[in-house]
Amino acid sequence: MAEEISGRKIFSLLEVTTSIQKTIADRFKSSYWIKAEMNKLNYYPHSGHCYPDLVEKSGGKVIAQIRANIWSDDYQKINTGFLRILKEPLKDGIKILFLARITYRPEYGLALRIIDIDPAYTLGDLEKEKQETISKLHKEGVFEKNKSRKLALLPQRIAVISVLTSKGYADFLEVLGSAGKNYGFRFFYMLFPSLLQGEKAVSTIITQLRRIRKVARHFDVVAIIRGGGGDIGLSCYNHYHLAKEIALFPLPVVTGIGHATNETVTEMVAFENAITPTHLAEFLVRKLGEFQNRIEEAKDCIAEKTVRLVREEKLVLISETKLLHSATLNLLYRNRYRLSGHIVPLSQQSWHILRRRLESLALTRKDFGKWTGIHLTHEKQILDQQKSGLKRNCALSTERSGISLDNLEKRLAILDPKNVLKRGYSITLLKGKALKSIELVTEGDKLETLVFKGKIESIVQSKKRKSYE
Amino acid sequence: MSDKIKYAEAFEELQNIVGEIEKGEISVDELSVKVKRAAGLIRICKLKLSATEEDVERILKELDDSETDLENPADAGS
Repeated sequence: MAEEISGRKIFSLLEVTTSIQKTIADRFKSSYWIKAEMNKLNYYPHSGHCYPDLVEKSGGKVIAQIRANIWSDDYQKINTGFLRILKEPLKDGIKILFLARITYRPEYGLALRIIDIDPAYTLGDLEKEKQETISKLHKEGVFEKNKSRKLALLPQRIAVISVLTSKGYADFLEVLGSAGKNYGFRFFYMLFPSLLQGEKAVSTIITQLRRIRKVARHFDVVAIIRGGGGDIGLSCYNHYHLAKEIALFPLPVVTGIGHATNETVTEMVAFENAITPTHLAEFLVRKLGEFQNRIEEAKDCIAEKTVRLVREEKLVLISETKLLHSATLNLLYRNRYRLSGHIVPLSQQSWHILRRRLESLALTRKDFGKWTGIHLTHEKQILDQQKSGLKRNCALSTERSGISLDNLEKRLAILDPKNVLKRGYSITLLKGKALKSIELVTEGDKLETLVFKGKIESIVQSKKRKSYE
Repeated sequence: MSDKIKYAEAFEELQNIVGEIEKGEISVDELSVKVKRAAGLIRICKLKLSATEEDVERILKELDDSETDLENPADAGS
């Protein structure tokens, strides 16, 4: 009870807090469903109790906050429900709808005692967050980026993001190892250790992805391998930053992070979601197997087609040869036949022509003889006629000539200078030539005068011109 | 890297030869040369399946070299 000191009523702290406790208990008799953001869970494994910090934010600012507590029994019950429905444990940074009593204890103060949390509300909230990540990546146009990368023909060099001791990593290596043993496939892998679940996974995976980026030229593919942890704590794979980092990664990212009820955004944007580490390894081995098969197919195809091609060419050659042979024979036969068709007519015609020529020759000879005879007779007659004509003419001419010859003889005799000289004429010669004119002679010239039976030599004493009228 | 290009190119060339042979585009004259080439390409491809030339030590060294300039952008993003 309050004590009176110097006229003042003074309460002890306990009296005040007990009064507050009573007032609150009277005022808040039932329990209430409250929604808030659980900033921190503050779980103490030793006691099994949790002392969460609850806040309400508006525009990024805290507008209300209160401490809460979850007693060990309640926590166990609530966490089991969360794991069953959310595949996530109760954790920091989630929105919760909880049933609580407003309690006030003098020794601890005001707190909300959380009796129950509805996992469906948180699930919806997480799902909302996931959808937001998806739509954001779509909006930025990066959602399909990693899927559109080209996987190497032989994805043999693998950058592994995992935990060295995890069962998933062991499963993964076992498959690769047996592929080496069974098919001789050789892989190169390098581990980039990282947390793989819970909130911290986001930043460590991102850090390792950025390290791999630096040496990306040594790798064909990135494998994110988680295994053995069950399918809880996977909501980190819906984280926007992680999903974006994977979407934009320069190498194809293949995931094997286990069976989540719903595919996480990381798995959605990855080049390939193999789901389990074993499947992931098998996916890579299969790629090498496909390559090997294609090589074998190519080999078989080439062998088969080559043999067939050569065989076909040979057949073509044989048939062409046969064709050529038969065509040649055919041509030969045809020509021979045509030739033989000509032989008989040719000899017949030759004979015919020959005979005709002979006949015509014989005919010509006969005609020739006949005509020659006629011609000769005719010619002879002409000749005879001409001969007798000639003879007659000759006789006649001779007769006539005889007459005139006599005359001529007589006349010639008259003209003979001897006879002229005899008749008293003389010829005067000057220098051996007959002197035919008085003009030619000058006095003193020596003249010769021919007379019958002699000549006279004289010298001109004088000359006298005499004209004959 | 050069090895990777080599086998990928070898594979592509091999596929081309197979295509040509399948379509009957290769004459008997070329056949022998092409088949010989294909055999060489098959050998390159098969060899690649059973070999990688990466070296962890070399990659680690490259990582160490670039680790210093990795710190800042890594923090900036997350």
